[in-house]
Amino acid sequence: MVDDVFDEVGLKVEDLHASYGAVEVLRGLNFEVAAKGVSVILGANGAGKTTTLRAICNMCSTSGKVTLGEEDITRTGTAEIVRRGVAHVPQGRGTFPELSTMDNLMIGAYTRKDGEVRDDVERWFEIFPRLAERQDQLAGSLSGGEQQMLAVARALMCRPRLLLLDEPSLGLAPLIIEDLFERFGTLNKETGLTMLIVEQNANLALEMADYGYVIESGEITLSGSADQLRNDPAVQEAYLGA
Amino acid sequence: MDLVLLLQRIFDALFNSAIYSSLALALVIIFRSTGLLNFAQGEMATFTAYIAFVLLAGPQPRLTGGGLAGLIPGVPFSIPLAIFGAVLCGMAAGAMTERALIRPLGGASDVALVNITIGLLLATNSLMAQWWGTGPRFFPAIFPTGAGQHFTILGARLRYSTVGVWVILLSALILLVLLLRHTKTGLAFRAVSISPSNAELVGVRVGPTLMYGWAMASGFGALAACLSANSVLLEPNMMLRVLVYAFAAATLGGLDSPKGALLGGLIIGLSQTLIPAYVPFIGFELSVLPALVAMVVILLIRPAGLFGTQRIERI
Repeated sequence: MVDDVFDEVGLKVEDLHASYGAVEVLRGLNFEVAAKGVSVILGANGAGKTTTLRAICNMCSTSGKVTLGEEDITRTGTAEIVRRGVAHVPQGRGTFPELSTMDNLMIGAYTRKDGEVRDDVERWFEIFPRLAERQDQLAGSLSGGEQQMLAVARALMCRPRLLLLDEPSLGLAPLIIEDLFERFGTLNKETGLTMLIVEQNANLALEMADYGYVIESGEITLSGSADQLRNDPAVQEAYLGA
Repeated sequence: MDLVLLLQRIFDALFNSAIYSSLALALVIIFRSTGLLNFAQGEMATFTAYIAFVLLAGPQPRLTGGGLAGLIPGVPFSIPLAIFGAVLCGMAAGAMTERALIRPLGGASDVALVNITIGLLLATNSLMAQWWGTGPRFFPAIFPTGAGQHFTILGARLRYSTVGVWVILLSALILLVLLLRHTKTGLAFRAVSISPSNAELVGVRVGPTLMYGWAMASGFGALAACLSANSVLLEPNMMLRVLVYAFAAATLGGLDSPKGALLGGLIIGLSQTLIPAYVPFIGFELSVLPALVAMVVILLIRPAGLFGTQRIERI
């Protein structure tokens, strides 16, 4: 059990179970994400990382309790959870390959009713100039790195308070991953956006995160500040390749 | 070859082509968004033609077969107004079909859902026979169809009604494209068509969005039925053959391409008229055969149809 280790909790997950058919993938997860902080969940393939994010968004059958800020969102529908301020960049990035870059950003703002959508598009174009150059191109024709940038920009178009990132480094070249994580860090520092990242690439993730969890076979086996985890012999051996 | 006769045959084929294109569009809109072939599309369309018929029939007891039709106080609608009303009813019926029959069964396999639409085909067909009888009925024409009601182009006659259905079909299509390209709902609809789960992750409520799709599709179906009811006479099985041609047209053009549906309808309509006229051993009774052969050949070369999307993805 995690006691309230953070001053302000952005997301709280209690006794979260999830299963696909008869296979139980998550077996009672307890963890918290600090508001305005970056938390990372490390784990091997099949440990339940992706399912954790899907369970938070109610995309699979679950039991337990998920609290966003003060709100209980355990039984809230996926589309409604987005309206409450959770943006999820799923595995496979969640972009629409047959829509243009611009349309992908516009659909990201689907839940918004304010008049500043265009301003936000301009802002992300400034941060990711490559996207501006390719605004009329189909998203499916972008390079892997550009697509990941688009996925993140698309997610941020809904002005979330919590960003969930599912293995953003997957399939990208090391230099691009480094650049991407740097941007995530900047984003968090500049906007105070709460982030939960699941990653296999522990090095970069721990460098950027302030808190971390290790998940094994659907259970949290280790938690601590990013520094603690980096210096933990078990983590070093299993995830840092030391 | 007599060129005037050829032109005349093309002009004659254009009317049916528009009807096939229209119903094919209805099929494509639903297939694109739900991945489902709606076998009931034709019967749902015929039903709306009956609604237009009831709106037009007026208070006099011209309907035999009793039932509901006898209860509706006929209003002396003008023909365009009655068709417009029927199209709106058709759109509502389409939306209700999605809400009541398709969405609750969302977890079922595609094959199961297709079977549901076949059930809906039979149910709608029987209902029409029950309410309005199986006998063919006269349905008034929206455009003048009498002798002399045509343009003469290079000696061939292009009927006003042919021009009329194309104007209506193309206007409806332009409206649809504007809706899809320039409205938020349209963008959401395109997103759902590509990936329902990703659409949900940007906050799109998938069910209601699909309902719009069913409404739009049924609108095109209603147009097809109301515009052709005059020439083929209104009866419960009126759209059965048309549905087969529309399926061929949609498959030929690419099941997820509105452009393809339009062109597919043209190809089917033209080959149905022209090939029996110029290929001696194919009689008019076999008129659909060349169209089907063309379909098979095109699908062999382009499995996704002429304009169907070959999905692109980069990992």
